[in-house]
Amino acid sequence: VTVPSISVRRKLRRMLFLATGTALMITTGAFCTLEILTFRSSSIGQLKTLSEAIASNSTGSLAFQNAEDASSVLSAFKADRHIVAAALYNAQGELFAAYPNGSGASVVPKHPGDAGYAFSSHALVGFQPVVDGNQRLGTLYVESDLGAMYARLELYALIVALVIGVSVPLIYLLSRHLQREILRPIAALGSAARAVSEQHDFSVRAQPTGAMEFDLFTDTFNQMLAEVQSSQVKLRDQLSRLNLLQQITRATGERQDLQSIFQVVLASLEDNLPIDFGCFLIHDPQARSLTVSGLGIAGQKFAKKLELSDGTNVPIDANGLSRCVAGQLVYEPDLRGVPFPFPQRLAGAELNSLVIAPLLVENQVFGVLVSARRRDNAFSSGECEFLRQLSEHIALASHQAGLYSALQQAYDDLRQSQNAVLQQERLRALGQMASGIAHDINNAISPVSLYTESLLEREPNLSERARGYLTTIQRAIEDVARTVARMREFYRERQEQLTLGRVEVNRAIRQVTELTRPRWSDQPQQRGLMINLEMDLAEAVPDVMGAENEIRDALTNLVFNAVDAMPSGGTLSVRARREARENAEDRAVIEVSDTGVGMDDDTRRQCLEPFSTTKGERGTGLGLAMVYGMVQRHSAEIEIESAVGIGTTIRLSFPAHTASLVSTPQAAHAGVVVRRLRILLVDDDPVLIKSLQDTLEEDGHVVTATHGGQAGIEAFSSAHQKLERFDVVISDLGMPNIDGRKVAAAVKELSSQTPIILLTGWGQRMIAENETPANIDKVLSKPPRLHELRAALTELVG
Amino acid sequence: MNGFRRLGDIARLLLLAGAAALLIQNAAADEPNEYQIKAVFLFNFSRFVEWPSAVFQTPTDPFVIGIVGADPFGARLDEAVRNERVGDHPILVHRLQPGEELTHCQLLFVDRSQTGQLAQLLAATRGRPILTVSELEGAAERGVMVQFVTEDRKIRLRINERSAHAAGLTISSKLLRLADIVNNGQGD
Repeated sequence: VTVPSISVRRKLRRMLFLATGTALMITTGAFCTLEILTFRSSSIGQLKTLSEAIASNSTGSLAFQNAEDASSVLSAFKADRHIVAAALYNAQGELFAAYPNGSGASVVPKHPGDAGYAFSSHALVGFQPVVDGNQRLGTLYVESDLGAMYARLELYALIVALVIGVSVPLIYLLSRHLQREILRPIAALGSAARAVSEQHDFSVRAQPTGAMEFDLFTDTFNQMLAEVQSSQVKLRDQLSRLNLLQQITRATGERQDLQSIFQVVLASLEDNLPIDFGCFLIHDPQARSLTVSGLGIAGQKFAKKLELSDGTNVPIDANGLSRCVAGQLVYEPDLRGVPFPFPQRLAGAELNSLVIAPLLVENQVFGVLVSARRRDNAFSSGECEFLRQLSEHIALASHQAGLYSALQQAYDDLRQSQNAVLQQERLRALGQMASGIAHDINNAISPVSLYTESLLEREPNLSERARGYLTTIQRAIEDVARTVARMREFYRERQEQLTLGRVEVNRAIRQVTELTRPRWSDQPQQRGLMINLEMDLAEAVPDVMGAENEIRDALTNLVFNAVDAMPSGGTLSVRARREARENAEDRAVIEVSDTGVGMDDDTRRQCLEPFSTTKGERGTGLGLAMVYGMVQRHSAEIEIESAVGIGTTIRLSFPAHTASLVSTPQAAHAGVVVRRLRILLVDDDPVLIKSLQDTLEEDGHVVTATHGGQAGIEAFSSAHQKLERFDVVISDLGMPNIDGRKVAAAVKELSSQTPIILLTGWGQRMIAENETPANIDKVLSKPPRLHELRAALTELVG
Repeated sequence: MNGFRRLGDIARLLLLAGAAALLIQNAAADEPNEYQIKAVFLFNFSRFVEWPSAVFQTPTDPFVIGIVGADPFGARLDEAVRNERVGDHPILVHRLQPGEELTHCQLLFVDRSQTGQLAQLLAATRGRPILTVSELEGAAERGVMVQFVTEDRKIRLRINERSAHAAGLTISSKLLRLADIVNNGQGD
């Protein structure tokens, strides 16, 4: 149903008009009525007075029936022009005289009516008794027209018209003024309401007008507006917080590590909530303490005052922090009144309100989010609720980040161990092959070594030339032996456990450069390329604690990579130096640089990962991964600098081994064994047997040579039975069917006192690792040196 | 149709004429007798003339209308004054025998028959508060205070004010206005 809309202005005007018009009408009506009534009664009075006078005058005429006199008496009515007719009747009621003269019964009534005056439709008519004393002499009839009254009425009509004519414009002006008075507040309210509805600006307020009813209305309206405004503000705040929450949640979802999650949360809070200071504290339930882990950027200036930085320990207060650690959101509206250390600390930095939100994961508080503002009472309940929800999200995101990194770690570990197994498998196969080759070479060169040494020692009559040649042969054989030993060392099986030892960095580097010479020198030269090696090894490089073989492997890999990176030649630089560090032990730094193709950023970032290779089928992608594994196992650091087209520098930095160098005592050079010994020699290589037998017999020993393990055991047992016991047994380790270990076991079974010397291509390894097998008294590596043999014999039986 | 209507009109006129004739006859029959009017006039004089208060010994003394000579009124005068009073005084009509004392009368009507005795009568009433009324020709001039004159079937009055004044009577101006005033004779 629509109410017809009439403007309030018109309604008001109509109202005022009606009210004042009605009042005016009633007033003028009442006035006129009263006037007319008064006039009528006064007319009657006047007529009556006149009639009475005439009646009194006419008593004589009536009493003595003098009609002329009666007429003349009646003619006195001439004085009043409104008297239109008059008549006298005698006591018998007969018409006696009439006025105006000559008018007969046609104008006046034939007979008198009842005494009294009355208005008829057109006249005032009266019958006045004519009395003398008690005697009724007759009746006077008077008729007055209403001209006077009409004249009066006309006058009144004129007055009314005048009054209305004057008052209507007055009413109009007044009503306009009054209506404006009344409408002004309404218009003000209206414009306020319009401003609100059109511009949605709820900060508009209607002005009080001074009219009580309207002010009540205005107040109510303003209150309503204020409520709408505040709820709108609340809504907007809530919305913006929701947005912020969503933004933060999304941002944290994109990040997988705790630190960057914390940073992005703090940055968002500082910029958007906003807060003046924010930080994350990680909870350590065992130590009952919190550790700062993440500070907002804007809050840095407060952090300085608070003496908080990453890693700062914050003890858990009795009050706020402990409640928060127990899982509650804590809001301190005014820190100045909180007598606990942490709030006091914040208050000291002019941060007066504080919200601490717990980060809960699986009912465990692993940290808290601290938000603070300068103002006191600065956090609304909506913001507290927001921080609570935010902390839940952060906790969840952190938890997920933790899970993710654990998963990533597990995955990386798995992949690395898979790679390691693969590599190990390859290396094991290579190592086995290399061991076999080394064994054969050692066997092959053993006679050469033995005879040469023997000749040089025992033939004083050799010509200078022969001695020179033999010396050269001996040096060459020793070179061969060292090369083989290095190869074997290099390719030997990896042990499960890392055996750490003191490693001379420079020596390791030299070994690697020597060993890799074919790759950086020979092979490029064949292709007509030139790779220069620049070595810069400082004397002061400290030793490091580590597995030398691993370090060597790593360096070898680095050299190979450097060579591969220079397909058209260049300079390979290997440097070593001591690097002093403040507040930490010195470090040994090794750098391998090339002037090759270099790596772009992506490649550089991925290069340490297993199976990332730039070499196509030529590479396994394991090289740098192995290097990285070594670096990690040695608590070392790796730095990679690279620029495309300029080259790559890889820097390894090891903690220096500070303990003083203890030189291993050099075995004293033993002379020829004086005592003649019975020696059982067991080997499967006749050339080696022959050479060993010759040289030992030259020393005066009695040597029984047997071919193979079985023969050796038989020889020993038969001699044992004959009581022609051997003083010492020298056996090869690697023999078909019955190897050196079994021979040793059999010998020791028969005669536990008989020393056994084992000769082996693996000997050096065994010595280095103190792996002297059971039943073996001494292990010597091939090719055997005469002086080593003599020393061993002296040690065991001398 | 016209003829028929005219016939009705004529009938109506005849009827009206008959009614008018009847009325005139009645009016002639009701015409008041001259003496009937004069009787009323006599009574009326008591209203328009003021007698000295000493005339009456007691408030209940009668107002006496005396008639000298033959009585022309008959019962008409008695009828006219029946139950009437002058002030509180009852009205008494007294027909005087010849030689009867006049002085207790307040109003004295002298009949035509007393033409010869008029001077005597006037002498007897002179100086006394007695209103004298007569219908004799020239009575007013001779000293009668009020004289009836019948003219043109109307009764007119002639008043000798001096006589009345001399007798101590005050005649109302209303009465004087109606009358012809005569101011001679033996008023003084």
